[in-house]
Amino acid sequence: MIGWLPRLAWRNLWYNPGRTLIAMAAIGLGYAMLLFVACLMAGLRQQMIESGTDLVLSDIQVHAPDYYPDRPIHQTLGGRNGTDVGALVAAITADPRVQAASPRVYATGLISATHQSAGVQLLGVVPDLEQRLTVLQTRMVKGNYLTGRMPKGVVMGDELASTIGAAVGSEIVLLTPAADGSTGNDLYTVAGLFHTGLDAMDRGLVLMPLASLQELLRLPPGRIHEVGIKLHDITTATTAATALEVQLSKTFPVRVMPWQELVPELADYVQFNHRVTIILSFIFFLMAAMGIVNTMLMAIIERTRELGMLMAVGMRPVQVVGLIVAEAASLAGASLVLGGVLGFPLLWYLQVHGLNLGGDRGAVSLAGIVVGPLWYGRQDFTAYTQAALGLAVTALAAALYPALRAARFRPAEALRKV
Amino acid sequence: MLATEGVRIIRAAFGRWQKAGVAICLVLTWLSLGQVAQAADDQQAREIVDRVARLFVSQSCVATMEMQITKADWQRTISMQLWSLGESNILVRIRQPQEDAGTAILKVDNKTWIYLPKANRTVEMPTSMMMTPWMGSHFTLNDLVNQRRLTDDYVIATTFEGQRDGVAVSEYTLTPKPAAAVVWGKITLEVRQADLMPVWQRYYDEDGKPVRELDFSDYKTVSTSSRFGRLVPTRLVMRPLGQTVEQTTITYENIAFDALISEETFSPRNLKQ
Amino acid sequence: MGVLLLVKIGWRNLWRNSRGTLLTALALGLGLALLLISLGLLDGSHEQMIANAVRFGTGHVVIQAQGYQDTGSQALLLPTRVVSATEAFLHTEAMQQGLRGVSPRLLASGLLSSAANADGVRIMGVIAKEERTVSLIPQRIVEGTYLKDDQQSGVVIGTDLARKLAVKIGARVVLMTQAMQPPDAAATDAGGGEMQSALLRVSGIFRTGVEAVDAHVIQMPLPEAQALLGVPDRVTQIAVLLEREGDSLMVAQGLRKQLTGVPAEILPWRQAMPSLAQVFLLDDAFNYVMNGVVLAVVGLGILNTILMRVLERRYEFGLCSALGLRPVQLAIMVIGESLALTAISLALGLVLGLGIQHYFATSGLDLRWFFKSSLPAVLVFDPIIYARLSLTRIASSVGIVFLMATVISFYPAFKAARTELPGALKVF
Repeated sequence: MIGWLPRLAWRNLWYNPGRTLIAMAAIGLGYAMLLFVACLMAGLRQQMIESGTDLVLSDIQVHAPDYYPDRPIHQTLGGRNGTDVGALVAAITADPRVQAASPRVYATGLISATHQSAGVQLLGVVPDLEQRLTVLQTRMVKGNYLTGRMPKGVVMGDELASTIGAAVGSEIVLLTPAADGSTGNDLYTVAGLFHTGLDAMDRGLVLMPLASLQELLRLPPGRIHEVGIKLHDITTATTAATALEVQLSKTFPVRVMPWQELVPELADYVQFNHRVTIILSFIFFLMAAMGIVNTMLMAIIERTRELGMLMAVGMRPVQVVGLIVAEAASLAGASLVLGGVLGFPLLWYLQVHGLNLGGDRGAVSLAGIVVGPLWYGRQDFTAYTQAALGLAVTALAAALYPALRAARFRPAEALRKV
Repeated sequence: MLATEGVRIIRAAFGRWQKAGVAICLVLTWLSLGQVAQAADDQQAREIVDRVARLFVSQSCVATMEMQITKADWQRTISMQLWSLGESNILVRIRQPQEDAGTAILKVDNKTWIYLPKANRTVEMPTSMMMTPWMGSHFTLNDLVNQRRLTDDYVIATTFEGQRDGVAVSEYTLTPKPAAAVVWGKITLEVRQADLMPVWQRYYDEDGKPVRELDFSDYKTVSTSSRFGRLVPTRLVMRPLGQTVEQTTITYENIAFDALISEETFSPRNLKQ
Repeated sequence: MGVLLLVKIGWRNLWRNSRGTLLTALALGLGLALLLISLGLLDGSHEQMIANAVRFGTGHVVIQAQGYQDTGSQALLLPTRVVSATEAFLHTEAMQQGLRGVSPRLLASGLLSSAANADGVRIMGVIAKEERTVSLIPQRIVEGTYLKDDQQSGVVIGTDLARKLAVKIGARVVLMTQAMQPPDAAATDAGGGEMQSALLRVSGIFRTGVEAVDAHVIQMPLPEAQALLGVPDRVTQIAVLLEREGDSLMVAQGLRKQLTGVPAEILPWRQAMPSLAQVFLLDDAFNYVMNGVVLAVVGLGILNTILMRVLERRYEFGLCSALGLRPVQLAIMVIGESLALTAISLALGLVLGLGIQHYFATSGLDLRWFFKSSLPAVLVFDPIIYARLSLTRIASSVGIVFLMATVISFYPAFKAARTELPGALKVF
């Protein structure tokens, strides 16, 4: 039975090419659209996550166990004695998922210029490494980002600068409790100002070279608070974080946190979005099911005589059911192929060129940031396969009703139909 | 005779306090926050506790002191000089250690400045920064802030009178009044009966767990405007209880009350020296 | 033959094959129903995401003193008359409909101390009853209870702060803050007023999942905050939460007109929280695209259904033609059928769609039910979507489906008109 059934099913489909093509077009295009949406949504999620993490946060952070969230300055990686920072960074970068890693030191302190003082968070970074990790350097509005050539240069948000009365080139004082209990203080020069549109950063963050902050804090070079990590593929964040924690813990205790733990509200957004998309996919499947039921029902009603004749010459009801289901499966399969063929070039285009949001959605300047008019897609093969499987299952389920009806034809009656 | 003198000193201190402003020296004002009570019961206890609270209170104060801080991660000894005048002027200059020498903190009314010798700059500190532990010690700068009339925050009862370690002492228990803006569940204070000098003070949270203890010792008579001088403990040790290592010790090398201090001393311009 | 007769024949044609007709009507109706449900869920989830986000901040519209957005200076307060004028305006009949909540707040910084520790905090003086309608903090209480308006000296703090201060419910904490300068003093005097302390008792501990909030934000009764800061009857901002995000601009404009000449800034959330607006630009685009896709999918379904149904009747049309029906009449008959079918379908679809949509609108669709969460247990946002469908949406959906069905049926009508006689009558 297996041998001839599919061939017969396939041929039956094409007895009425018009109808079959219409159905295929409907389902195929629908599938193509699902692919389109899945691709765009994956891109959207990626963009949302990246916009939340690529400024300063990074994809994963490595800390000493009791460091986060209070950030006491003595809780350095590797304990009170610190560690070989270079080796640590190298060990992390050795993981194939990691694109870049950068050491950081944090402190809370006071900044003062001509007008006022303000409480700020100080972040010490290695400029070359940090720029591979985050994109704050693309948000400079005045002056320059940190460089190795200016050890006493700092960058800060433009709002902070105006509050305290500083500009590029101004001298500012930083004040913070040092690791030995003394009051760390020193003079620095404003190298540049950034604008992110995020209040917390534009008003409260000061970036400076790592070594300078260590000096201010009276911390030896081996003591750092955090290693920020950027991955090639941000969707691997949780697995990479777990793996890294296991690996690094062999040297000294660490806690490795993926961005989902650092900004759970962002993770929530993304999940929310994802789930809504999936629910809408179900709706598509329902439509497809209706289409298939309709098509098959029409078909068997039309082919009453034919089916009656087949049953009269010996085809068993089970085989009739099998035939109808096989036809539905073939229809679904062909539609998927059509949809895929139509869809994939579009998917490629989305990934490479993006969707131009255009008009009033594109090139909008919000709080000084130009929002890109391009929406890039990202391939989400899991989603594509799930959609295809979903469709196949739907097709088979949808075909059951018409198939069972056909199986109950009585050959004598069927043959009499006009 | 000592007793009558003691009473005269109390009366004099009281009177002076009721008249004009009160100069508050750095450390013990924190202690004296809300210590004064006008409770219904135990009038004598109230007077004694009140007296203890006012040990470091005066029109003006000049002191040289050393603060030794022991913490889990570091240890420091800071040597500094302090001037205070009236209710709202306080100046502290750090003399030792070397890296902090010359640092000065000035508070006038509601503004605070810090002079940083290394950067050679005077920076105004927002009020919030003043409320962090002073130089990392176990004392906070609360006192610099809360220096209006001392509020009647506690109800005082005498809980022990007798001998401990061969010394006649009295122990008082201070319980906060319902609306008092204090964090402690209760405070206990041991005072020597002979000279009314405090021996120790313990702070408890609301569950009755002792949180920290302040120990007094090295009692000396220091100069005041009257010819009698004043007996004060010159060594104070604050220990968080439950921590074996951490503590802060303040030792007064010199302290003089009611000396003449010019207002000029408390000018931000004069911070740099 | 008159048009009316043609239509009647068309109607009866439908019922000759009642099962087929009903099935087709069901398919079409389902299309409409699914369209309604999808749009309801999309609109609802979009609205929900925005509401969730703005509830952590300043609501859909915020009214604050001029310059506050730029400087965040806690000395900038709203004059009393602004507060009363705003409330009066918002509580009028017209506005009441679209309003979910109005919460006046006093914001300041301070230090919160316990026996064990002290930490800097962001003080929010609020009216419990009002704040409940606007903010998410009251819904995230994990221990104890939220503030009650008649309860004195209560404060709610976040889990991270509670841990740092080592306090439990009922514990004493002292809040210290700098009182504001009296209103007539120079606003530029940075020194501010005197330090004030207040005793508070921890009445509730909340957990939002956002570290900045859980570690630093405290909420206390507004009158006490005002007393502490020396600014009776003043507030920093009024946060307004609406039923529909889309009303934000309109409400903001209405308020601006109401408050002309007053030194206050009235900001819709996109201006008050620009970083949020950025996130939602992408979400808007998502909604836009999804709407289009759903429409297209439904359209395809309709196309499929109708074409399927109508293209099969060559024999029948041949017969009609042979019996004397002219091509135009044939076309009218087909169109008449389609219209009737569409009408039935729309009715079915509306009933089904609105019914299910109503269920989702009231009980909501709980996303957790569908999916296992692979994330840490704390969910920052409300995982239940409430579907929302405006009358405009319903009307336009019905309109679009009707239009699509009608337009699509022109093709088979056209084909019917062109039935070639001898060929059409061939049976097999």
